[in-house]
Amino acid sequence: MKASFVTSAGPRPPQTSFSAFESFFRAHYPAVVRIAYGVVGESHAAQDVAQDVFIAALQRFPDPDRSDHAPAWVRVAAAHAGLNAIRGERRRDRRQQLTGIDVPPPGPEEAALDQESRVEVRRALSRLPRRSATVLVLRHSGLSYAEVAEAMNVKMGHVGTMLRRAEAALRKELNDATPS
Amino acid sequence: MRHLPEGVLRRLLDEPLAVPDSARHHRDACGRCRARGGQIAQDAALAVRVLSAPQVSCDGGLAWAQLQSRLAGPAQLRCPAVRLPRRPVRRFVGASVGTGTAVAGGLVVAGVAAAATLTTVFAPTKVAPVPVSQADLRAITSAMGINAAQLIGGLPAHGGSQRLLFGTLRWTSAGQGQRVASVARARAITHLAYSPPATMPAGVGSPAAIVAVPMATATISFGASAGPGVSGSSLVISGGPAMIVQYGGPSGGADLPTLAIATMRRPVATSTGATTGQLAAFLLSRPGIPAGLAQEIRMLGNLRTVLPVPVPSQAAAGQVQIHGSPGVLISAASGAASGVIWESRDGVMHAVAGLLDRKDVLSVARQLG
Repeated sequence: MKASFVTSAGPRPPQTSFSAFESFFRAHYPAVVRIAYGVVGESHAAQDVAQDVFIAALQRFPDPDRSDHAPAWVRVAAAHAGLNAIRGERRRDRRQQLTGIDVPPPGPEEAALDQESRVEVRRALSRLPRRSATVLVLRHSGLSYAEVAEAMNVKMGHVGTMLRRAEAALRKELNDATPS
Repeated sequence: MRHLPEGVLRRLLDEPLAVPDSARHHRDACGRCRARGGQIAQDAALAVRVLSAPQVSCDGGLAWAQLQSRLAGPAQLRCPAVRLPRRPVRRFVGASVGTGTAVAGGLVVAGVAAAATLTTVFAPTKVAPVPVSQADLRAITSAMGINAAQLIGGLPAHGGSQRLLFGTLRWTSAGQGQRVASVARARAITHLAYSPPATMPAGVGSPAAIVAVPMATATISFGASAGPGVSGSSLVISGGPAMIVQYGGPSGGADLPTLAIATMRRPVATSTGATTGQLAAFLLSRPGIPAGLAQEIRMLGNLRTVLPVPVPSQAAAGQVQIHGSPGVLISAASGAASGVIWESRDGVMHAVAGLLDRKDVLSVARQLG
């Protein structure tokens, strides 16, 4: 599927829709952050991506409870936006600078991980075809095959094939990146 | 029979029940497919290792405040900072993401077209107390035909099976629980976010044991004698991974644990056909299940989203809030021991229990999750 992209800001949503949006935001924000984190590998950046995803979702689904599409849309949007971010469009700290709201420091789990390995993984992901990277990120963030199929608009029988090819490509990218 | 497509071999690793039995039998019997499956499993394991992110702790309230602040600000703030797909989703199969409903179709394996429906029948988002007596527990195991001694006495490391009165119970595990040297190591194994409490009640002592437990899966295959909608279906329950941090006494010894903190991914159950209501109706109507207990469980409401927490009849139980999530606080009549269990909003279950009074247990719990 060829996706088109938008960068324009939409109109400010009406207050009624805004309040209707809150429960949707609270229900799906952790999943969106988790997916974004799987791509960008850093919690502040993941939360930045999640904010962008929900800003866009608010414009697209002002009353998300009335749309069956909204939960899948924010998940795949998180994967796409995260992949865009690691391809050079990340704007760290932008939100904090502009809103003046303090962001908590990174959690201790991040410090325990090998930062160098993470950078390699992000680079490998960024070199994969978009669909391969997306299926990897969605599946390994915990989505079932059915949910991946729904989010990526493919038949469920294709998810295994896509995932298999993507994992083989990831292994090759990581091997190629390892100095012999 | 033709060799299995790679996609089928890959799915056998994750969702074996969605793949026809004939595919599984072929994989087991065919050396070439087994070898290909091995390579696929290696690549999948690598991807799991490098991509399975630890649970990211995020404050939904703070995030919502940030979003509101941004929307109230100038137009440039309301513009997504990264490009987003306009239409990443154009067609849906009809089920919402949260339901996990799935239809596997088009798996072509040597002319065998098979389809299976997987429905999430249990994915708790909160806990609720249910009084349970020793007699109730005996009645449950007897009504189900469960060999409790075998289950409790020691599960085989990687799997096993047991006949039930209405089908078969099989279980598999990715491995045994293992003692590890540090919380960081347990986090790396389980991918669970856990930070030890900053302050402990007096007398708790220091950590005496840290255990990482891999994910385990139990499958109940219902036989023909099961009720309408249930017979012939399978129920797959997965739990874990989990980590347990146990604290010793003042001397740091492990002989007398003073406190244990358990962190675990919430259990999830999927069915190949039966609904939550059908399964609950069948299980709660088994001869021998105490009527009062069945009624207590029914009164919990939506059983798909509530994890019943058994409360021994000798103990007192109450409901508490841990960071906005409902929890069940259980304490011994003497007040010498207490425990609390809750599920945080990120889908992780937490339990804190020890030789402490309710106030101290809650003070520890509120430093977690």
